[in-house]
Amino acid sequence: MANLFNTELRAQQEWSWQLALDLFLGGLGGGLFLLYQTIDLPPVFALVSIGLVIAGAVVLLTELGHPLRAWRAIFKARSSWISRGVLLVSVFVVTACIHIAPTITNSSWRIWGGDDMGAKVISVAAALSALGITLYPGFVISASRSIPFWDTPMLPAIFFTQSMMGGCGILLLASAFDGGQGMPQAASLTIATIFLNLAMIAGYLLLMRRTGAPARESVRLLLQTRLRGLFWLGAVGAGMVLPLVLLSVQSAVGTATVAGALLLSGGLLFRYCMLKAGVYLPLPLAGIDLSKLNRTTDQLAREYSGWTARR
Amino acid sequence: MGLASRVLFVPYRKSQPCSRGPTRHWSEMATNGRHTTTTTYVRWGMAIDLKRCTGCQSCTMACKVENGTPAGVFWMRVLEREEGTFPLAQTLYMPLRCNHCAEPPCVPVCPTGASYKRTHDSLVLIDQDKCIGCSACVIACPYQVRFVPRHKTGYHGDQFTPYEDVSYKRWQAGTAQKCTFCVHRLDQGLGPACVETCPTKALVYGNLNDPQSEISKLIRTRTHFQPRAEAGTDPSLFYLT
Repeated sequence: MANLFNTELRAQQEWSWQLALDLFLGGLGGGLFLLYQTIDLPPVFALVSIGLVIAGAVVLLTELGHPLRAWRAIFKARSSWISRGVLLVSVFVVTACIHIAPTITNSSWRIWGGDDMGAKVISVAAALSALGITLYPGFVISASRSIPFWDTPMLPAIFFTQSMMGGCGILLLASAFDGGQGMPQAASLTIATIFLNLAMIAGYLLLMRRTGAPARESVRLLLQTRLRGLFWLGAVGAGMVLPLVLLSVQSAVGTATVAGALLLSGGLLFRYCMLKAGVYLPLPLAGIDLSKLNRTTDQLAREYSGWTARR
Repeated sequence: MGLASRVLFVPYRKSQPCSRGPTRHWSEMATNGRHTTTTTYVRWGMAIDLKRCTGCQSCTMACKVENGTPAGVFWMRVLEREEGTFPLAQTLYMPLRCNHCAEPPCVPVCPTGASYKRTHDSLVLIDQDKCIGCSACVIACPYQVRFVPRHKTGYHGDQFTPYEDVSYKRWQAGTAQKCTFCVHRLDQGLGPACVETCPTKALVYGNLNDPQSEISKLIRTRTHFQPRAEAGTDPSLFYLT
């Protein structure tokens, strides 16, 4: 409570594990669905991605103060990224379900044929909404201009690459169940996304170090103080570097499974660290030189001279 | 009756949209020897004289008493910062509250429209029946003056005092809350509790759109700044230095 009354830099406390888990699950689902659409994956991956997105939404609901009013969040899509996210998730769940229904049900009750225009529209809509789901967490966070560490267009791109990396992590995990058939492809894709993520995060942190005191403090929290263990060991070490090493050194199914699990845990920790490192702009008094309220040091010295002489 | 108080009783029309210009749609006229004013809309603002503020936290307490806010929630608070070194040291005080910005960053991020700007007097308010408690507005506010109390807990835990029993019915746990500019008092023609209680009269409120209001005169004649004006929020709060 005391820090509400001083002007020190303060990290946000409102968004924590639950939102990190929501962003993680949603991004994972969106990324996996994009992989399902772009490389030839079995429909079970589409089902998993839908389940992940729904799970993310449920986690988000539990975080809300009044989850039963969440339906109201569809009305402000013109201005609110949270509202847009709710719409994207809704569109994704509906279109992705329609898209995979014929495949799952073995064509027994399909509404249209595979080459039908309607099927293509649904497929594109599902892919676009999945893309939106991977991007929108970055927009939700970067819309908060009171936290300079988040106020950058790089965030949506970072969340997108994190989502794709998470999708790759699931592919690696799944290789344990299919005897490692798709593992080489998944491994090379994973290595590429890890490199991309590392490069983007490094660039982002370097940029934020030069952006001003609050963003610098955020970077300090991440790299040097409170969050350094989670960030260095969890998000970067175990979440990216170790899987990279494992996949580069050995191409066994067991290794891939471990690398996939590490990637997923790293993705969750990364999102948590990003949220917890959000430091607010300093309160007004801290940013403005009000020293002595229009009195110069000389004036103040004169003012206090009698007092100091008396001592 | 002071000029600021007179302005309080000026009727306004709800249909008129808000505007950021300080003098638009404003007109004055002399009637029966008395200076009366008419306006099409009001923009409530507050000027805080930093030279007068002694950091007594009376405004903080008055706000808590008036609005019955829970523990850890301060719609109004006085920041403190120490300046200089002994023997030339002093503490600076700065009362902080919702700025009721003309361009409030908390409103567009709200996914339900619970945070809104009242059309006829530009006050930024929260419809607690619509709020889902997502905290987006708390994060978006550059002044850190919004709160989402998750539980109704009194100052003595779950055991409420008789006062808390009554006052806690005014807000819902799990929804955002912040300074309302004592809108319930304004609507009755009274001033905000913090202004009324300030022993040094460091707080002055009034209609920013009325060039004759005390606050407008103070802003014209005194050096001042708006907190975080560079963020483009156009706050209705002016610190006089």
